[in-house]
Amino acid sequence: MKDPSRIYRWLLLVASVVTIVYLVGAAVRENYLAQWRTVQQEYRNILREKATDDRGRELLAKFRVEMKQASIPALGTVDRCVTCHNGVDDPRMTDVPQPHRTHPGHILDKHPVDRFGCTVCHHGQGAAMSFNEAKAEDVFWDYPLLPPEMTESTCVTCHDAEKLPPDQIPLLTAGMKLYREKSCGSCHKLGGRGGVLGPALDNEGAKTKHQLIMTNLKPPHTTWAWQDAHFRDPGGVVPDSLMRNPTVTRQEALALTAYMLSQWKRDVPESYLAADKIEQKYRALHPVPLAGEQVYRQYCTACHGNGTYTRWDKEFNRFIPAIRGVSLISTATPEYFQSNIEQGRPGTQMPAWALHAGGLLPQEIKGVIEYLRSGASGPGAPATPTTAVLTLQGDASNGLSLFLRNCAGCHGMNGRSGMAPEIGNPVFQQAATDEFILRTIRNGRIGTAMPAFQRTEAPAFSDQDIADLLAYLRTLGEAKGQKAIALNATSGTPAGGKP
Amino acid sequence: MSRLDPPRVSRRSFLSLASLGSFFVAMGTAAVGMLRLPNPAVLPGPVRRFKLGPPEQFSAGSETPFADQNLVLFRDDEGFYAISSTCTHLGCTVARSKDGFACPCHGSRFNSKGSVVGGPAPRPLPWLEVSRAANGDLIVNADNEVPEGTLYRV
Amino acid sequence: MAETATKEFLHNLRALPQTVKDSCFRLGKEPESEREESQATFHNLFLHIHSVRVHVRTLKPTLTFGLGLVATASFLITLITGVLLMVYYKPSTDLAYQSIKDIHFTVSTGRFIRNIHRWSAQLMVLVVLLHMARVFFTASYKKPREFNWLVGLGLLVITLALSFTGYLLPWDQLAYWAITIGSNIANSPRELTDAIGITKFFDPGGFQKRLLLGANYVGQDALIRFYVLHVFVLPLVLVTLLGVHFWRIRKDGGLAKPEDPPGGLAEWGGEKRPVFQPLATKTYGLMALVKGNRPPVNRGPENTVMSWPHLFWAELSVFMVTVAVTLILAFYSDAPLKELANAAIPENPAKAPWYFLGLQELVSYSAFMGGMLIPMIVLVGLALIPFLDRRPGGEGTWFGTSHERSVFWQSLFFACAVTVGMLAFTVNYGWLRNWFPNIHQLWIIAINPGSLFVLIFAAWSLFILKRKDSVRLAAVSLFTCFLIGFTLLTYFATVHRGPNWHFYWWPSQWPVH
Repeated sequence: MKDPSRIYRWLLLVASVVTIVYLVGAAVRENYLAQWRTVQQEYRNILREKATDDRGRELLAKFRVEMKQASIPALGTVDRCVTCHNGVDDPRMTDVPQPHRTHPGHILDKHPVDRFGCTVCHHGQGAAMSFNEAKAEDVFWDYPLLPPEMTESTCVTCHDAEKLPPDQIPLLTAGMKLYREKSCGSCHKLGGRGGVLGPALDNEGAKTKHQLIMTNLKPPHTTWAWQDAHFRDPGGVVPDSLMRNPTVTRQEALALTAYMLSQWKRDVPESYLAADKIEQKYRALHPVPLAGEQVYRQYCTACHGNGTYTRWDKEFNRFIPAIRGVSLISTATPEYFQSNIEQGRPGTQMPAWALHAGGLLPQEIKGVIEYLRSGASGPGAPATPTTAVLTLQGDASNGLSLFLRNCAGCHGMNGRSGMAPEIGNPVFQQAATDEFILRTIRNGRIGTAMPAFQRTEAPAFSDQDIADLLAYLRTLGEAKGQKAIALNATSGTPAGGKP
Repeated sequence: MSRLDPPRVSRRSFLSLASLGSFFVAMGTAAVGMLRLPNPAVLPGPVRRFKLGPPEQFSAGSETPFADQNLVLFRDDEGFYAISSTCTHLGCTVARSKDGFACPCHGSRFNSKGSVVGGPAPRPLPWLEVSRAANGDLIVNADNEVPEGTLYRV
Repeated sequence: MAETATKEFLHNLRALPQTVKDSCFRLGKEPESEREESQATFHNLFLHIHSVRVHVRTLKPTLTFGLGLVATASFLITLITGVLLMVYYKPSTDLAYQSIKDIHFTVSTGRFIRNIHRWSAQLMVLVVLLHMARVFFTASYKKPREFNWLVGLGLLVITLALSFTGYLLPWDQLAYWAITIGSNIANSPRELTDAIGITKFFDPGGFQKRLLLGANYVGQDALIRFYVLHVFVLPLVLVTLLGVHFWRIRKDGGLAKPEDPPGGLAEWGGEKRPVFQPLATKTYGLMALVKGNRPPVNRGPENTVMSWPHLFWAELSVFMVTVAVTLILAFYSDAPLKELANAAIPENPAKAPWYFLGLQELVSYSAFMGGMLIPMIVLVGLALIPFLDRRPGGEGTWFGTSHERSVFWQSLFFACAVTVGMLAFTVNYGWLRNWFPNIHQLWIIAINPGSLFVLIFAAWSLFILKRKDSVRLAAVSLFTCFLIGFTLLTYFATVHRGPNWHFYWWPSQWPVH
């Protein structure tokens, strides 16, 4: 019989040889073929060319081909970028190709690599030992290397963007301005201030590509590409987006992108913060109120426009009231405005703006009311006497039939969910005086779709009709209080309106 | 050898030797690779080449302790030198005394140039290599010693 | 007197290298006779668990394909590389991910070692499963090897547990979400207790989950528990069980093999080869009474060869083949490491490692039925096999009893048809909740594709039992169905399940995010 173990000895021989081959292969690949070794050898040659004086010769003599890193325990980073970017802090390296070149500008004078590392500003995977993995666009890493023009967005980690020279952070400065001009705060919260129709943007820069819908975006799928495309066409990137097109130029879209990337609540040790950043943090705790007009522009215009006419909004499928219109201003009291602004209209797109909700200071709300009331000039509603009607006893059931025939078409059944303002809304019911309602029905609203029902030349309603209608409208406020809260809770808006 | 067993193959046959030999070579190679692993390729923590700033900020005759870096930088009329404040006996940090350095652990004493004047320390405090970075800043490399008395002239 | 002592001392000093060597190696030279070859085996701690002689047929590669050895070898490789990785790994949620990155990028040979660790671990799971199938289809679990079958099952469970616990350690997205799912499977008895409303009083699911995670979420406490299990508890248990497993192989008479033909082995020209002719007066010691198929009283074990060198060549070569295979895999393919674990961004799809994907498919119907009950049923079923199928026959032969091969093929086609049919049905028409949205959860737990698989396969096995009138064939049909079901479900969940666990023909069709 054949030797029973012969086949096993052959197997052992083959397997051992294969093992040796792969072990040696792995060793060669790791120790001789690594990208960074070639780069450092190139850099040594550059150093040799430039070693014309004592200092240059000293630098050449001290250069070693080895892994280099900036380890910054305070920031929790280990950046090995300097393994290939050997010349970042050598001022002589301005005329050599990347990755050997000097860092542009004078940034490193105040931000030495030993203290700051690289990724705190540039992002990317600092621990990586090859460029592809450091750039990290196609590898599993949350924050890939920022493109050069976006790098300024990280300055605000330690600086107050308003205090930095605008020419150093051009995009950020423009973005900040655009954010206010485009009234983004009407729908988005930032720093605790703003509306709730859109998501809060406080940590927008910290989002990774997995948190954004990339389906409709061509590669590369980076967060900045998403932001840029989204600013140019929100609905094209996120189908069914409620966001109206901000109509921006390419450059403006980039500016807003940089501003969004800068929104990142990042913890860095206090010793890294610039003095202006600390002041900024302090200011946030002791905010200085904005003037009424500024508040209006930043937090109201996205929906209300300039406020002197009614806007039809096709996404909301309803009219947005003219809150600076002559009729309203001449009929409504400051208290009426205050209730509606502070509490919003629960269940509608109008959020609450009180300090605990939309983040406006009481002085700011006062200021914006003054601004609203200084609105459109022109003949207001005639101040006809109202006491006669108010003393009449109204019949709510007749009021109901009047309401159904004349009002429900726009204001909706029960005065809710129509395309006109919600007169069944608990906040309206609580804020509006009988006189206010009465005068509005009687005179209508100039510049809006609300007609006058008791024009002197052709009154549609008698005084008794109006009293009946008023009686009916007041029943809406009684029963609907509970439902309003429920509605508000299901719509998920944090703008809690107390009925 | 049993008469009934298959004929014994000599272990000295070529196949046996080759397979066993390659097995041991493979294991040896693998062992070398594995033993390389615990030796760190790059040390954690900040680099030990400390940038101490531009030379102008140190006046002649000055003595600047850098507590975090465990060294003292001196500048005399002729140039710079840096002395490590890590005791050469067993690694405690020495304190500046009236006329030099004193180690709190086992009583080694050094004069202000780092030479041993008492206690168990086997050799003077190391003088560290001073050089300048590409941008002109002074650099002390705590990993490189230079002979006592070496001055770095700016 | 002093003279002699000095001489003796000097002599001993000169002889030092030889005496040290002799003290280390009990035999101290290459064995030249069978007696010495026996000594080479049983005078060595690591070799003495083998018997001195092995039956020549158990050395045949096609009997076992060396699967048990491959599993052991891959365990050894995993163990050694695992110890090396422990040098740099830091089991803390803040540092774990970065330490893996460092292993990957800067540690000398670190990337290669981690790749080997991963690949040998995967290989181990695969081979342990194949080994079980080999033992089953060669009927090697039969008396007296019932207990070793149980030990083997224990080893399978420990192997899977090792893989599962190791999955969390890199603290990346893959780890975080796979373990979140896994720990909620442990929580899934709540599905039942909630459905019958007794969770408040009796909550085994919550207890299991808390025991596993030390918290209600996957965090630092979970990481340290998984670490301790992965690097200490489970390997210790595995090594212990492995020792028992090996020891029982020897005590149960070596590998299962068929009875020698009466005339002698064909490869030895039909000649019987007893090792020795016993003397009539010989008394046998304890060694001769060792439990085995045929206590070799009155005749020596027939048709055996010396373990040294034949068996050891075989073992060494299988070990080395395993090393070579893992090295090749590790050379070309890096172990994955996704983004840092982030509780705010679920992976989509969050897939478990491949060997749990069959289970994950079942879990997608009902977490409790698919994740707890069916695995329990399968384990209990596997454990019962050697105790319910007790008729000897077919040991050590692939498909050894009559009709076994045909039952195997029939069951294979049956199981394929049932599995594919059921999956196609479920994908196309949905299941109970799609038809009756308000159906009670108890119905979902009780009747879902997973439980139907179990019922249909059990029915098929009973049918074979009746029809073929053989317990072994019933076992073959059930085991085949289990194997095919497991394989197909694993394949299906790996390839055809995409984001939101939707069906896709191919992963390239997955939507971007």
